[in-house]
Formats: sequence, structure tokens, C-alpha cells
Amino acid sequence: MLEMRSVRVVRGGFAVLRDIDLSLESGRTTLLVGRNGAGKTTTLRAIMGLLPIEAGELAYDGADLRRMRAHARAALGIGYAPEDRRLIPEFTVEDNLLLPSLALRLSAKQARERLRMIYDLLPELPALRARLGGHLSGGQGKIVALGRALMVGTRLVLLDEPFQGLAPALAHSYAETLARVRAERRDLTLLVTESGPQLLEALVDVKLQIERGRIDSLAPARSDAAESAP
Amino acid sequence: MSIVLPLLVDGLAEAALIFFVAVGLTLVFSVLRILNVAHGSFYSIGAYVAVLLGTWVIGRGYAPALTFLSMLLAAALVAVVLGPAIERSFVRWTYGRPEAVQILVTFALFLIFEDLQKLAFGVQPYSQDAPMQLLGVSSIAGVVYLNYSIALIVLAVAVAAGLRLLLARTRFGKLVTAVVADREVAQTLGINTERVFVSAFTLGVFLAALGGALASATSGVAPGLGAEAIVLGFAVAAIGGLGQIEGALLAAVIVGISRVVAIYFMPELQPVAPYLVMLTVLLVRPFGLFGSPAMRRL
Repeated sequence: MLEMRSVRVVRGGFAVLRDIDLSLESGRTTLLVGRNGAGKTTTLRAIMGLLPIEAGELAYDGADLRRMRAHARAALGIGYAPEDRRLIPEFTVEDNLLLPSLALRLSAKQARERLRMIYDLLPELPALRARLGGHLSGGQGKIVALGRALMVGTRLVLLDEPFQGLAPALAHSYAETLARVRAERRDLTLLVTESGPQLLEALVDVKLQIERGRIDSLAPARSDAAESAP
Repeated sequence: MSIVLPLLVDGLAEAALIFFVAVGLTLVFSVLRILNVAHGSFYSIGAYVAVLLGTWVIGRGYAPALTFLSMLLAAALVAVVLGPAIERSFVRWTYGRPEAVQILVTFALFLIFEDLQKLAFGVQPYSQDAPMQLLGVSSIAGVVYLNYSIALIVLAVAVAAGLRLLLARTRFGKLVTAVVADREVAQTLGINTERVFVSAFTLGVFLAALGGALASATSGVAPGLGAEAIVLGFAVAAIGGLGQIEGALLAAVIVGISRVVAIYFMPELQPVAPYLVMLTVLLVRPFGLFGSPAMRRL
């Protein structure tokens, strides 16, 4: 569904992404691993339209994403959860979750349905709905950010370093949450970046290694990867 | 004691007019992150257009009460004609560039507008005080007050409350709040930030032009009005803390009252009174009364 070909991104005169080829298949979970500075975050930001692509192709269901600005990509059903949560601090959790439905002008019915779907998938959230975005712990914030990305990303969700900054116990419970989302939403395509990938092994279909702005190896994470395809 | 109420009414009426300038300036600063020097031009252009429209209404023999409507229409006209055009042509080009560039570009715009106004209207003052005359005066304890002054005060409070409601309750307000808090994340949630910029800028232009239109009924309009408005507007926005609506309201009150108190007790201090207040506040609170270094909110 998403194809990157020979993508090059330059920041401050330096090619952060040099020659990225990446292909996401519908309903699959792809893990992008690499050291800090290898280009994981930059790859997600380039897909989302937050950074200009210098050269190469970026297609989503055959449509040229390079011609679209970030908000138009969101409207296509691409959700993004940045590494550092970045909720709107003065909005409640529920308003944070509903913000995309306002921005995308969803009908009240659609917004309610998506919100209910997210509350079902992430049962931690209903109890937090009236809490302010600025008054959440790190672990709670991550779950809200995931919910918000799911509100936008009806087809593709990009998660940047979801375990970064979480204590081991919280990271484990986040991984379980993600596994539940994966199991319930088989139609969803996931692209997750991680520097310590152990927690996600169980649900990853394709694992890619990024090094110095280039994707080096393509290897199925599990021999039974095909089974998890819808 | 008998002078307290007159000073208060005069000071607050003055504060109301400054508030219209400062709140637009602060709104534009929060959303677009630019300091717009040309903001003062929208105030004086609003005043000119209001005087022209008002004079036309009176000249055609229409009901003088229509001049209230023509003031509002003048502000809306200035906003709709100039807001999107200026944002798209000049201001947008300065986003993300150093403050010095933004100030140079918007200052250049301000100078161009000043000269265009002189070309169009000459240097003689214009006035159309029908709205002020219509409202008449009230006499309280032997002192006569302009009802127009009291209307200005009420209107400024209503505008502050209206803006707060707009930001908290409407779709546009929520999108603006999100863009102010995190421009980048806002885009990834489907918010068309460019459209929010144009709308917020246009709203800022409307508020400044409305201030000018309202001021034209009391003091008329002549060259220099825009410069005075932007300098006072900056002072008030800085005292309140850039990006703070309630801060701008409180700061406008402080500056307005300090001006009339200076006029009453020490007229020679009147021109510098707002800046003495600004200096004092900024020495104690460098980010203004309501501001803080990391703050990104309205």
C-alpha cells in the first residue's frame, strides 16, 4: 500500500536519508530498527509530510504522496504517533482524541464510532477521558497518543519509538496493548520504529534494518510471517 | 475622590481601543509566530474606511444610527480585503525566518501603507463623530460622561469574552489552540495549518480595524494614528505577555489608566507613561504579567 523508492532527505546540507526503499503491505506490521541517528524518525516524518523529500518516490495506493501536504496525508487515513507523545496540554484526553475528527470534518456519528472503537481497543482510556493532556504520566500519554494516531490512521499507523522513555513494566503493558490492537484490527498496516526491538518480536511480520540513511537488510521476522497476513 | 470615576471611565475607554490592537497582535503572534509591525496600519485604515463610510451614510441622508453598522462593515471590509492578501503575499514568506527579517518585512509593509494612506487621504484630519453624538451623555454626580466611552468599555470586555469562547468552544478555536500548542502535530492530525494561519491573521486584522473604526468616532483620523496604535499595542502585548488574551486585557487597562492619570496630574509625562509601565513590568517579569518563557498557548 505504501512504496518508497530511492527516497532522499537532506537536512542542513547533510543527507539524513540517502536511498530509502521501503514497501509496506496492507495488514502487515513492519518494524524498522536502527541506532539513534540512523534515520528511523526521519523516515516516518518524510512519509507523514513533515520533511521535504529531495528525490525519489513516495506512493500510497498508487497516489503520489509527495504532492500532498501533511494534513492531506492524514485525511487519507495515515496516523502518526511521534516519539514524544505531544498531546495538546490544555485539551482533555477525549478532546485530544476528537481533535482529528474536527480537523477532518467527520460526521458526529463517524466521530462517535471511531471514539468507541478506540475506547474498546484501549480500555485504559475511558477512565482518563476528562483528564488534561498535560496532566498525564508518561505511560498514559503514550496510550493516548496511540489512540489519537488510531483516530486518524484508519489504514496505516506510524509509531515512532513507542517504548522510548517507558519503564520496563510499562513498556511490557504497552506491547500487550499493541498486540491487542494488532489482533483486533487485522486490516491495519503498522510501521513501528524501535532501537530495542525485543518487545515486538511476537507481532512483527517484516523487520528492516536502517543504517546511515539506508535500509540495509530485508528479513522476515518470523518464518510464519505469511500466516499473519489477512 | 470625585475625580476617580471620570479618570476610570476615560482610562478604561482608552484601554478598550488599545486592547483591540493588542489582542489582534497577540493572537497573530501566537498562531503565526510573527511580530507584525504592519498591524498598526490596519487600525488606521479601519479608521479611514469607517469615516468614509459614515460620512457617506450621513451624506445620503440615511438614519445616523446606521453609522454603527458602517463602522462594523468598515472593519469587516478591511479584514476581508487585506487580511488574506497580505498574509498570502508577504507575511507567509517570513514564516520560520529570523525575527529581524519578519520585523523588516512587516515594517516595510507598514511604511508602504502609511504612504498609501497619505496618497489617498492627504495629511488633513478626517472625522465622523455621528456615532458618538448619537449615544449622548450621562450625568453622574454632576460629572458628564460620554455614553460612547462606556459602550467602548462594554464592547472590549465582550470581545475578550467572545474570543475566549471562540477558542474554547468552536471548531476553529480548537484548531487554533492545537496549532498554537504544536504546529507540526496539528498537521499530522489533519489540520490545514495554512488555512488556520489565514483565518487567524484575518481575525487579527478585523480586531485592529474595528479598534480604528471605533476610535475614529472620538478622535478622528490623521497620519500617525497607525504608528501610535502599533507602538502602544506592542507595549500592551509585552506587558501582558505575548500571546495572552487576558494579559492583553489587563495590560490595556493598566496602560489606559496610566495615560489618563498622567494627563490629569502631570501632562508632560503622558507620552512616556505607557513605556514607563512597560519598563517596570518587564524588569520584574521579563515575559510579561501572564507570560512565561516556555509558554505556547492562548
